[in-house]
Amino acid sequence: MREINMGVSIGGVEFQNPILVASGTYGYGSEAKDYCDISGLGGIVTKSVSWKPRPGNYPRRIVETASGMLNSIGLANVGVHAFVDEKLPYLENFNTKIIANIAASSTEEYCNVLRHIEENASKNLVGYEINVSCPNVKDGGLSFGTNVARVEELTKALRPLTKKLLIIKLTPNVTSVAPFAAACEASGADAISLINTVLGMSVDIHTRMPRISTVTGGLSGPAIKPIALAKVYEARKACTIPIIGIGGITSASDVMEFLIVGASLVQIGTANFINPNIGNQIFSELRNLLIDKGIVNIQDVVATLKVADQMKALGW
Amino acid sequence: MQDTIRSQIQRSKVLGRREIARGLVVLKFQNSFVAEKAAPGQFVNVLPKIDFSDPFLRRPFSVYNTSGDSAEIIIQDHGRGTAILAATGIGEHLDILGPLGNPWKYNETTFETAILVIGGAGVASMPLLAKQLEKDNKLYAVYYGARNKSLFADEYLRKIEYSTDDGSKGFHGSVIENVRKDLNVGKYSKPKIFVCGPTGMMRSAILLANEFRIPCEVSLETEMACGIGICQGCPVETSIGEAESTGRKFHLVCTQGPSFAKEQIVL
Ligand SMILES: Cc1cc2nc3c(=O)[nH]c(=O)nc-3n(C[C@H](O)[C@H](O)[C@H](O)COP(=O)(O)OP(=O)(O)OC[C@H]3O[C@@H](n4cnc5c(N)ncnc54)[C@H](O)[C@@H]3O)c2cc1C
Ligand SMILES: Cc1cc2nc3c(=O)[nH]c(=O)nc-3n(C[C@H](O)[C@H](O)[C@H](O)COP(=O)(O)O)c2cc1C
Ligand code: FES
Repeated sequence: MREINMGVSIGGVEFQNPILVASGTYGYGSEAKDYCDISGLGGIVTKSVSWKPRPGNYPRRIVETASGMLNSIGLANVGVHAFVDEKLPYLENFNTKIIANIAASSTEEYCNVLRHIEENASKNLVGYEINVSCPNVKDGGLSFGTNVARVEELTKALRPLTKKLLIIKLTPNVTSVAPFAAACEASGADAISLINTVLGMSVDIHTRMPRISTVTGGLSGPAIKPIALAKVYEARKACTIPIIGIGGITSASDVMEFLIVGASLVQIGTANFINPNIGNQIFSELRNLLIDKGIVNIQDVVATLKVADQMKALGW
Repeated sequence: MQDTIRSQIQRSKVLGRREIARGLVVLKFQNSFVAEKAAPGQFVNVLPKIDFSDPFLRRPFSVYNTSGDSAEIIIQDHGRGTAILAATGIGEHLDILGPLGNPWKYNETTFETAILVIGGAGVASMPLLAKQLEKDNKLYAVYYGARNKSLFADEYLRKIEYSTDDGSKGFHGSVIENVRKDLNVGKYSKPKIFVCGPTGMMRSAILLANEFRIPCEVSLETEMACGIGICQGCPVETSIGEAESTGRKFHLVCTQGPSFAKEQIVL
């Protein structure tokens, strides 16, 4: 049997496989260690961290919807000091790549958080994912992510602060993601990741109250996969930097779909809640799938979508 | 790290199914890990369907009983997930993550008599607690309230003081009034209340405990996605004193509960 090469390199960083776990769906790694061989994962994106600790939103924070869930966690996190002192050192025990996700309400705060992590970085921290796309906080988040000029300005401000990977995490809550993808590339990002959750809502008809406290929340899970694929495809055509595909992944064939439309890596989110070891399971499923298909190099799958010639001629 | 593993995912064969009261189904399943490790008050997180189809999140259930290499949960028909689970047949398999959460704090020396206060379907975590108290030779009493007499799931409990809203069994009135009646006459030495039931009833239990200046531990049910502390979806607000001492505005019910001392939380 020929060796299958599952490794993917982006921005000079070698990931042992393309399967990462998404921010906010894996805590800081320690919570899931009983269920998962963490060192088998391509990488862990840690929960969004801000300068100060954030308690998060009042309950109710989650509600299940058709093949998905709405959340309004409100970026509950330990703050960057505890993150650097307690969480990062623990994650050094694992043979996997760590990406620190940062959320903030001003360009200055984003820069301060990144600088503080950079000064105290652990050896397997390979980069930063910048969350400009959280729909569940009043300050920051989406107000950055839905404004091309602000994304551009932020990326430019962060770029000189680190030589590590700089990844901008984009929201699907825009008419077109293409200008955002292009702006990230033009201002020096190494990669983009998408999608964050889709703005959604659910109502209790008996009480006429919203089912989560903040009225609207972020939709995730299998329900959003088609949206995510369309956004990744659109972004793929708008930039040349690597894309990390996120949204509704629960199986190896889901991963293949994202790779085919143009993602180099993927992140698994909500599915971790059901099975915290799903990343490793999908990894072995994916490997078998490649063997079945006679593919020896996973990177050969990336951006191989075949659109019928007559449809291409019509502009699709 | 092997020996520190407190819980795991196991495909578990259903060995028995019985309806023990109106709308309450008990499922018995083979799961040596839960059977061996589960302590009173812990819960398991159960998948309604194995294949990520809809509904797809796990549902939390208290461990109702354990024996040999099997365990039981009690399911109250509440919505789509519980309807699917309650219809599971013998020989089918459940995907079970557990045991999760922390046990009831039953070995504190701050009390002499445990008063188990149960409202409706809140019974599930009580039989294991009663069993443990008996094993430890601790004094205890059980107060169990329901709307009417067809709703009691009392097969594993002894020494029950019943109460019903309609007077069809035991004391006619609320379970809290029934407890109050006996506390008033000083029936118990150094009592502590362990309570599980509807939120309003647990609030009343806290007020009662405050009135008599006795300890009270409440077992909470919040919506949960993961059950293991990674989604942050299951918070309960911490009390002012607790927030000052822990710096936390919320506790996670799945990993820091599901039971809390009344002083820790705002209900
Ligand atoms: C620690 C703990 C122990 C529990 N023990 C038992 C038990 O022993 N027996 C029993 O019958 N029930 C128990 N419950 C409640 C049970 O988990 C819910 O009734 C069940 O999840 C509802 O699912 P559903 O699909 O039928 O309802 P739906 O309303 O359709 O559920 C929709 C979503 O909301 C969540 N949800 C809704 N209500 C609750 C609730 N009260 N608690 C948690 N999640 C909820 C569900 O998990 C699901 O994601 C317990 C809950 C917790 C947190
Ligand atoms: C409960 C929950 C919390 C999340 N928290 C964060 C977060 O802190 N930062 C972030 O960038 N994305 C966060 N996300 C978004 C996920 O990382 C991911 O982009 C999204 O859920 C889509 O992927 P999925 O469908 O696989 O879950 C969160 C998602 C969920 C469900
Ligand atoms: S249920 Fe996910 S953190 Fe408690």
